[in-house]
Amino acid sequence: MAYIISDEGKDLLKDVHDFCENEVKEQSKEFDLSGEWPQNIYDMAAEMQLGTLDVPEEFGGPGLSRIDHAAILEEMAKADAGFATSFMTNGLSLHPIEFGGTKEQLKSVYDVILKGGFGAFCLTEPNAGCDVSNGSTTAVKDGDDYIINGTKCFITNGPVADFFTVFAKTDKSAGAKGMSAFLIFKGTPGLSIGSHENKMGIRLSQTSDVILEDVRVPASAMLGKEGDGFKIAMKTLDIARTWCGIVAVGLAQRAIDEAASYVRTRVQFGKPLGRNEVIQFKLADMQMATEAARQLCAYSLTLMDRGEDYTVASATAKCKAGDAAMYCTTEAVQILGGYGFSRDYPVEKLMRDAKIFQLFEGTNEIQRLVVGRSVVGKC
Amino acid sequence: MEFLVCVKQVPDDSVEIHLNPETGTPDLSQADPEAGAFDTYAEELAVRFIEENGGSVTVVSAGTDDNKTCLKNSLAVGAGAAYLIADEGTDCLDSAQVADLLAAAAPKIEEQEGKKFDVILCGKESTDAIGGQVGALLAEKMNLPLVENAVEIKSTDSGISVKQETDTGFMMYEVSTPAVVTISKPDYDPRYPTIRSKMAARKAKIPTLTLSDLGISDLASEAAVSSLGFAEPKTRQAGIKINESEPEEAVKKAMDQMIADKAL
Repeated sequence: MAYIISDEGKDLLKDVHDFCENEVKEQSKEFDLSGEWPQNIYDMAAEMQLGTLDVPEEFGGPGLSRIDHAAILEEMAKADAGFATSFMTNGLSLHPIEFGGTKEQLKSVYDVILKGGFGAFCLTEPNAGCDVSNGSTTAVKDGDDYIINGTKCFITNGPVADFFTVFAKTDKSAGAKGMSAFLIFKGTPGLSIGSHENKMGIRLSQTSDVILEDVRVPASAMLGKEGDGFKIAMKTLDIARTWCGIVAVGLAQRAIDEAASYVRTRVQFGKPLGRNEVIQFKLADMQMATEAARQLCAYSLTLMDRGEDYTVASATAKCKAGDAAMYCTTEAVQILGGYGFSRDYPVEKLMRDAKIFQLFEGTNEIQRLVVGRSVVGKC
Repeated sequence: MEFLVCVKQVPDDSVEIHLNPETGTPDLSQADPEAGAFDTYAEELAVRFIEENGGSVTVVSAGTDDNKTCLKNSLAVGAGAAYLIADEGTDCLDSAQVADLLAAAAPKIEEQEGKKFDVILCGKESTDAIGGQVGALLAEKMNLPLVENAVEIKSTDSGISVKQETDTGFMMYEVSTPAVVTISKPDYDPRYPTIRSKMAARKAKIPTLTLSDLGISDLASEAAVSSLGFAEPKTRQAGIKINESEPEEAVKKAMDQMIADKAL
């Protein structure tokens, strides 16, 4: 089972599958070990215009439906979850501009993406993870400008981004309502990239601190108006969580595929492992968890298509997909036994790649908070 | 330089194909149709050439309406125009018939495109039937010079120079144009279609040339080769185990067996 996509989507999916099989899947092993940015792979992906899926048709994007886009992103995640994460993060960094930016601001960032560039979403700080509104980055009005100071951490795409959507306090005393959002381009004086994270997984994506030291931007760099930042961030995360889930589903599917391929050929006690019901049941549970997560993502995308509220659906999809990725990759290691634990086989990498999907874009505890509150309601 | 690239649609050769036990013919249901590998090299070579030197690439395929899939893929990776030759009887063609159709189609396409082809490219062989004859037959029928197994084409004052791959190295030819060249594997791979080029190609209209368009009245009578049937390769037999405890005996038994089997 899979997403139900258009004939056009199927056609594109085949090309993306071929590309990922030939150029990403095996090559990613080397970069997983080194943690280096595989420029050549991203250049080829840019040439194929894989990053342009986030750009609407009116701004020069291909105009694919959300569900076709999802199937393609899943295919990329099956080859390497870090590779897909770099593109998923473009969506994340674009949404604040889609929610609060002007047409000119939108055009400027879409042009960057169309040329194969990257964006970064700069919300998290050392003391403001789940507690987003506790950030200490400030934006102080100075004439027609704002001067921004602070340090953002765990910023996906930080070292490779061409633009940054940065959240900062314009009113420190106003809590969440004192937060504003800004669009800042690479090369702006005072903006620099700090230390790179040496991550457990998704090592084909780059993560770093982003440091803002007296970064002077014109007031026109603000997204929306003063105080809109928290609202923009929350709306962004609502939408981005589904896309995060889609990448997690791809990773879970890869774990199933690897495990299924292993049990067909691995012979123990005189027969292939796959003939044992205990193994079949494991794979059945992995498959059901993954398919359920995939359809939750599809449901959330359908709500977006229909212009209906998707906050709870998105949190549900992300949580179940992140959990499915962790569960399936762990089970894949179990099924491969000692080989699963070996770096010579692909599944230990998948398990390392999976953990982040229960952490970023809101931990799964935060997702449960969103869902739990919606169930209980006011009391 | 104006290129015409002849493309054959073949089953995906990365899929293992078996005979359908009921029909006795290859079961292609799991193998998506795609352009033959050497045909894709031919197109990539032509597209790289025109990107550097200007010109155009037109692709043509003979078969059924189904071939539009691979023609659209050709449009997505750099061809400017695509033509399909399809009519009653064109679903099952031998090499000579394909060459006849292509030889008749080339001037028709030239007429429609308003240009003369300098070079007609074919893959050196298809990846399904592996006949390797169409290029040579086409050159013969069109009375054009032919170079086979080429990996590089450059333009010269009087035509083209062609680098041919041989068993021992390379041979360089100077050839006048128009000419037919068959293409081997160059040291690069065909490009991937981009998202936009693929979406645009999907919407492209591909003109169909019928037998009457080509002035061919009776295709069937021209078939020189007919297929009698298909057989799968023999499955490998189990090996012979030599379990002698003494090395001398084991060696003797192995030698005797190899002599008996005329392996030595």
